[in-house]
Amino acid sequence: MTQPNQPSQPSSDDPFVDHRSMGAAGPDPLGLAEAAAGQVSSADRAHLGQLGTSAVGTEELLRVDNLSVDFPTDDGVVHAVRGVSYSLRSGEVLGIVGESGSGKSVSSMAVMGLLPRSARINGSISFRGESVLDMPPAVQRSLRGRKIAMIFQDPMTAMNPVHTVGDQLAEAVLSHELMPKRKAMARAEEALAMVGIPQPKQRLRNYPHEFSGGMRQRAMIAMAIINDPDVIIADEPTTALDVTVQAQILEKLVEVKDAIGAAIVLITHDLGVVAGMTHRVLVMYAGRAVEVGETDDIFYRTRMPYTAGLLGSIPGLDSESDGRLRPIHGSPPSLINLPSGCPFSPRCPLASELCRQEEPDLMATDVMGHVAACHHWQRLAEADDPTAFFRTESEVSK
Amino acid sequence: MLAFIVRRVIAAFGILLAGTFIAYVLVALSGDPLQRLREDNSPGREERIASMTERLDLDTPVPLRYVKWLGGASQCVLPFLGKCDLGQSVRGQDVSSLLGNAMTSTLQLITVATITAAIIGVMVGIITALRQYSRLDYTATLASFLFVSLPLFWFAVLLKQYIAIDLNDWLADPAVSLPTAAIVGVVSGLVWASIIGGDRRRVWTSFAGAFVVSAGGLLVLAETGWFRSPGLGPIVVAVVGLAAAVGLTALLAGFRYRNVLYAALATAVAGIVANLALDSVLFNPSWGVLFLLLLLAVGIAVGIGYAIGGMQRRQAITTSVWVTIVMGTTIVADRMLTAWDNYFEFVDGRVIATFGSETPNYDGGTWGNLLDTVTHLALPTVALILVSVATYSRYTRASMLEVMNQDYVRTARSKGLTDRTVVVRHALRNGLIPITTLMAFDLAGLIGGAVITETVFGWQGMGFMFVDALRNVDPNPAMAFFLVTGIVAVLFNMLADIAYAYLDPRIRLG
Amino acid sequence: MSTPVDPRPVASAEAEGMAIVARTQAQLVRRRFFRHRLAMASLVVFMAVLLLSFSATGIGPIPGWWKHDYTTVATVVDGGRPTLSVVPTFLGGDGVHLGEHPFGQDNKGIDYFALTMRGTQISVMIAFIVGTLGSFIGVLIGAAAGFFRGWTETILMRFTDIIIIMPLLAICAVIANQAGNAGPFWLAVVISLFTWTGLARIVRGEFLSLREKEFVEAARAAGTPAWRIIRKHILPNTLGVILVSATLSLAGAVILETSLSFLGFGVKPPDTSLGRLISDYQSAFVTRPWLFIWPGVFIVTIALTVNFIGDGLRDAFDPRQNKVRS
Repeated sequence: MTQPNQPSQPSSDDPFVDHRSMGAAGPDPLGLAEAAAGQVSSADRAHLGQLGTSAVGTEELLRVDNLSVDFPTDDGVVHAVRGVSYSLRSGEVLGIVGESGSGKSVSSMAVMGLLPRSARINGSISFRGESVLDMPPAVQRSLRGRKIAMIFQDPMTAMNPVHTVGDQLAEAVLSHELMPKRKAMARAEEALAMVGIPQPKQRLRNYPHEFSGGMRQRAMIAMAIINDPDVIIADEPTTALDVTVQAQILEKLVEVKDAIGAAIVLITHDLGVVAGMTHRVLVMYAGRAVEVGETDDIFYRTRMPYTAGLLGSIPGLDSESDGRLRPIHGSPPSLINLPSGCPFSPRCPLASELCRQEEPDLMATDVMGHVAACHHWQRLAEADDPTAFFRTESEVSK
Repeated sequence: MLAFIVRRVIAAFGILLAGTFIAYVLVALSGDPLQRLREDNSPGREERIASMTERLDLDTPVPLRYVKWLGGASQCVLPFLGKCDLGQSVRGQDVSSLLGNAMTSTLQLITVATITAAIIGVMVGIITALRQYSRLDYTATLASFLFVSLPLFWFAVLLKQYIAIDLNDWLADPAVSLPTAAIVGVVSGLVWASIIGGDRRRVWTSFAGAFVVSAGGLLVLAETGWFRSPGLGPIVVAVVGLAAAVGLTALLAGFRYRNVLYAALATAVAGIVANLALDSVLFNPSWGVLFLLLLLAVGIAVGIGYAIGGMQRRQAITTSVWVTIVMGTTIVADRMLTAWDNYFEFVDGRVIATFGSETPNYDGGTWGNLLDTVTHLALPTVALILVSVATYSRYTRASMLEVMNQDYVRTARSKGLTDRTVVVRHALRNGLIPITTLMAFDLAGLIGGAVITETVFGWQGMGFMFVDALRNVDPNPAMAFFLVTGIVAVLFNMLADIAYAYLDPRIRLG
Repeated sequence: MSTPVDPRPVASAEAEGMAIVARTQAQLVRRRFFRHRLAMASLVVFMAVLLLSFSATGIGPIPGWWKHDYTTVATVVDGGRPTLSVVPTFLGGDGVHLGEHPFGQDNKGIDYFALTMRGTQISVMIAFIVGTLGSFIGVLIGAAAGFFRGWTETILMRFTDIIIIMPLLAICAVIANQAGNAGPFWLAVVISLFTWTGLARIVRGEFLSLREKEFVEAARAAGTPAWRIIRKHILPNTLGVILVSATLSLAGAVILETSLSFLGFGVKPPDTSLGRLISDYQSAFVTRPWLFIWPGVFIVTIALTVNFIGDGLRDAFDPRQNKVRS
């Protein structure tokens, strides 16, 4: 713990304030060249999106290349993740957005090595240049919780009900470092204090059921940061919480991230959460990345109809539609029998014959470092309000 | 917590009262003790009827008779109230004295059966859950279905008529043929290969290892005449102790931090030395001395764990105590087998007993008598535990699988804990909580089973007494049976509730 | 981990109304059950045993096809040895044939196949009555306790606790001793008065959780009477649990009845049952083991197949399989 009890650092690298102003600065010429070339090999796709985020470090911590995960089931093989690539630099916050079943959680579980044995994993995942999938299990285990930590969605069930919070926190330390239990408990107390739990010493002896939901999620964050990890994967950390608590938790997450200098992969289905927190966003649909770019670009220069649909589903985000919701109709496709062509085409207002026949790869768009998997991204670029494609009939007739 | 226990005790009392009342009424209605006397036309009939009516208090209406019976019975349950009185049997014996002897042998049977069934069942359940959908899992599943479907009385008779006779014949002339050794080796190889699992090479290695050890060991033992005069000796005790130290360390603490291993090994060495040093004491100790020795051994183990444990003091203490328990059991087995030759001679080579709970007129000292008890318990226990083993293993498996899918197990793995820690500290602890309730419930089933087992194996226990009483329309012994089983059932349900509340902190306040 | 989504659009299925959902649910269950190979094989074997036992000696006034009666005394041939042979001649056996007395004869010369078939009939019949009647009582008590709560629940559940602390076999022995004299039917009825406790607890648990569900709340808010809520909304959702439990209790009842009869407290002469047969010929074990083996084989077959069928049903209703119920 570098700085216990100290609140977040000055606003110079506070993502809420800073990164947008620096968003357009100094693009990487190499990435640009590749982007201009249109179709890019999947291995390099991820770089395109992260150009110019000078607020984040330059060191590449985590790199996922062409990752795919299949689950054999009774009804057929489920293609949960189909070739996802991204990279994460030190200090960066990457948002992964998608509906449930889009493969966003599965891909991060693959990074953690937590998928069930039946899962078939292809592609590569490397942490600081070393391939995680090729590591012996013991080395992989030493990475888990120490270098890459995870925060789970439901704090109600994510903690073991029969052990005290203190024991569960100390255990995370003791599994990687040998030290007397007393010292591990002191670390646990520090971590609880850091996430803003009052009277941490007393709280160590409590059981999870004696904590409120928000407190438990704070304790989960404490558990994730207790070993000063380089990467924190937060899988829908606020979904199960009250709205008021959500904001507190997110704020705390950013605060501790800055305090220990970690990078975050924030998985969520809530674009509202992404808007305030992330440097870059990767939108997933049916197991693939469909749009990757700077957070601002994703919101204001949307180049993929699915993202536009998601934006239209957020109440009151843009004033032009009179606060009217513009939902995406239908539901995500079966991951066992994917439709031919673009998997979003059955729900897409822009879908053409081409879309139904050929699945688009991620391709460069008019915005620098912003890639999208859409045959018709130009039409979105031309539109004033991309969400307008999702207008409901009543709205059109009006 | 105290209020919780008090409430449970009161509820248990109420249930016991109502239960015995229902049983009393049903037993009273189940037959007329005077029936046989009425059909009897020999002289003196009227007097006999009168004395029987007097003895069994038949003139009093049933509910009132229950209250009187309860008055006597309550003195058996609550201490210092007076003399225990459970009425008289039709033959005029005091039921409380009848019950005394019967209860000892039945409780012995039930206790041994429960502990054995719990150990085997829970272990099989855990292993099959960890190796879900393996061949071992399927075999265990099929076996448990078969066990549940086997009628106990039929299986017990088969055991008695086939297994016992064959086993005794074999013990009279213990030779192991090559094919037999090979079959045993293959079976053991398959089981171990399934348990250990892993990739193809590891499976074959474990299969080969288990095959050689089992088949070879069997042949060597037979060749050296071990089965004729079995025993362990200090060397086997030493090997078992050291192996237990290493194995239990691997299971409970891992080798990352050496002090736990050192503590366990030190405990094992202390046990080996004690076994040799106490040779004269262990020659024929009383049960009290044995108990004191056990306490002492556990105390020493705790001390060693505390002194050497270092940073992992708690694990070191736990591991040392378990090593002590394993070694203690081995030493007892070792000493017990010293009585083998003497016993073998006394029972004419029919070592595996099929009748009664002890050999009449046999006194072989502490160890000889223990051996006698063990040989008498063997078959009834095997017959009795089948259903329980099946139930426990299925339940444990389901419970473990459910727990292994819980979010908090995923959290534990995400912290980078070893698989061992995840299973032992997170999955096992939660998965075994519901088993406590199951074991309390299962006890009633075991008692029912004891009725049959005792009938088949001629044990003079409570079940035998009960069946006998029902056949002779003898209400008081039958009621004594219901009283004891009711108390046991209520007591264990209560203990299970308290254990549940203790193990699951979420219930503690409720 | 967010598992892959159910491909069926949930909202539209709900919108189509309960009837259609219920039917697809039933179809799903049926399909899963028929795919369960062990359960299907067991069903076939169980049916074959039923058919064999009921057709061989006949039911009531209808005569069976087997030449011998289970009461006719005859001369003992060849020490009563079984004449059944299943080893074909080309394998060195006697060929496949039934012979005069396939299962042998007892000491009075009665054909043992006829006796075994009659015993199977009685045992299965008792098991069926115990299984259905016991389950019915269990559902009734559990449903009442779980739905009405309050005093009803307290009284019913305390009553269940009281019955549960008495060893089932022992308490059944006490009353079956008398009831056995009234014939197998009454014996079965009396046994089922004590076998309902487990199911009552399970059903109560299901009701307790179901009555809090939104659709029940909605029905209650709409003023639906209690019995209708139970019948239309709650019972259909507990059907799986009840059916599985009833099936398994049928297997338990076979064991229970034969155990009672073995101890001499169940079926009384002139009736016979599989347990009674084993009890009667236990002493003849050393000289004529087949008198002991055959009824046992039939008990195991019936109990095992019924247990497998129950397991298949459980998998069909609850494919997650790893659910723990207390």
